[in-house]
Amino acid sequence: MSQIRSIAPVSDADAARMVSDAALADLAEQITMTPAGPTTANRPPRVRRRRWWLAGIPAAAAASALIAAVVIAHTGGSAAPGGTGQLRHDAHALAFTRAGGYIDVIVRDPLADQASYNAEFKAHGLDITLSLVPVSPSLVGTVVAISTSGPDGDSITTITAKGRCWTGGGGSECPVGLKVPVGYRGQAALVFGRAARPGEQYESTTSASAPGEVMHGLNYVGKRVSTVRAMLSERHVTVPTYRYDGRVLTPGQVPGTWYVYDAIPWAPQQVLLFVGPTPSHAYGAGRPAPSPSHSPSG
Amino acid sequence: MWWVSKGATLRYPQPGGPDERRHRFEQMYAANCGPILGYVLRRTENPDDAADVIAETFLTAWRRLEAVPAGDEARLWLYGVARRVLANYRRGERRRAVLADRLRAELAAGYRPAQCTGELAEFAAAFRSLAEADREVLALVGWEGLDRGQAAAVLGCSRNAVRIRLHRARRRLADARGRQQANPPGEPVSVTKGEPA
Repeated sequence: MSQIRSIAPVSDADAARMVSDAALADLAEQITMTPAGPTTANRPPRVRRRRWWLAGIPAAAAASALIAAVVIAHTGGSAAPGGTGQLRHDAHALAFTRAGGYIDVIVRDPLADQASYNAEFKAHGLDITLSLVPVSPSLVGTVVAISTSGPDGDSITTITAKGRCWTGGGGSECPVGLKVPVGYRGQAALVFGRAARPGEQYESTTSASAPGEVMHGLNYVGKRVSTVRAMLSERHVTVPTYRYDGRVLTPGQVPGTWYVYDAIPWAPQQVLLFVGPTPSHAYGAGRPAPSPSHSPSG
Repeated sequence: MWWVSKGATLRYPQPGGPDERRHRFEQMYAANCGPILGYVLRRTENPDDAADVIAETFLTAWRRLEAVPAGDEARLWLYGVARRVLANYRRGERRRAVLADRLRAELAAGYRPAQCTGELAEFAAAFRSLAEADREVLALVGWEGLDRGQAAAVLGCSRNAVRIRLHRARRRLADARGRQQANPPGEPVSVTKGEPA
C-alpha cells in the first residue's frame, strides 16, 4: 500500500494549500444560502422569510445554468434595463404559455425595459419582477438568479434548453425561462442575462472558449502570453487585466514569456487571462499557508 | 477582489439569524472540507470538475443534513457522496455550480498534482489501467488511509466484500505490472476490467 500512497497525485496537505480559507468559507456560505432540500423537518416554517437561491442549484437539470459563471465583481450591480439604452414598450417582451398547471415564461426580448416585463407579469396576476444584468454572449437570455418569498416561494422552477449555453465542463442545459404554478401567490425577483454594451463589464460569464465566446476554437492553454496576445489581436480582442496567483496584474506587468492557464470573458471583445511564469499551474508563491481550519481535525 | 463569486447580482444578504442547522453544517464542513478536497483532487485531473464535485458533495450534505452521521463517520459518508458525484462526472454529467466559482478559480490557478517519475510512473500507469472499482478500493486504503470497515462504509458493502475486492484488485495490479514489464517500452498497458466482489 505504501507504493500506492506514493503515487497519490495530491495529499490532503497539498489540497489545503491550493485553496484559501476564504474560498472554502465562501463555498460554505453559498451552500447554506440555498434551500435545505426536502428534508426540512428540523426547520421551523418561516413562510415570510425571504431567501435567494441560485437558479442552478435546486433543480439538477438547471444546475449547469450559471456556468463557470466567474462573476466579475462589479459595484453597482446595475440590473439596468435595456441593452442599448432604448426602451421598448411593445408587448411580448416575455412569452407566457399555459402548460398544465403551470405558466411557462420565456424571455423573448432581452433588450426590453424592466417596466415592460413587470407590467406583463402583473397582467398575468403575478407579483414577479425581472431585471437584467450584462453577461457574456453565450449566456444572454439565461437566468442568473431567482429570489422568492411567500407561501409558494419554492414552487418556481427553471425551464432549460439544451445547447442554449455552454457550461465549461461539457454540459449545455441552460435555463431560459421560468415555470410558474398557476395561481402562484408568492413574490419573486428574477435576474436574467442581457447583452452587454460596448465596454460594459460582464456580471456573469463563462469560459472564454465556450461556443459563442470570443476565444472559441483557440488553443491557448499552456501557450505563452505573447502567442495568445497575437491570437487575440487577430480577433480584435484585448486583455485589460490579468490574474497571477490571485493577484491583479496590468498588461504591462505581464511578460510575454509567461504562460496562459485560463481565460474568461471580461467585457465585449475583452478577456481576462490567468497567467504565470511556469508552463502549468503553479501555486505557493505569495500564497499564505493554510490555516488550521483546513486540517481534517479543524 | 476580482472574483466575488456571485458578483453584484448574486451576492444577496444572508437570511436569518443564528440557525442550529447551519451551525451544524458549518462544523461538519470545517471538519471535513480538507479531506474531501483531497479525496476529489486525487481522483480528477480537472480542477474545474473538482470544484464542482466538492460543491455538489457538500450541497448534498446540506440538503440531507439529517442523514449525515455524526463524528468521523461524516467523513466516510461524504466520501461516499463524492464518489457518486465523481461517477456522474465520469459519465459526462457535469454541472457548473455557480456557488463553486471562487473555489474553481483558486483551484484553476493552484492545482498542481505531483508528478511521478521512473518506476513509480510505471506503477502509476499500471494503477490507472485498473478498472475504477479496483482503483477505488485500493485508493481508499492507500490514499485515504481507511481500514476495511471504513472502506466498506464508503463503498456500501460488507467488510468481507472489501477484503475480497482488495485481494482481487491487488492481484490485477500485479498482473498489470507484469504485463508492463513484459511489453517493450512505449506499448500501452492493456486495460484490465475488474469485477466488483
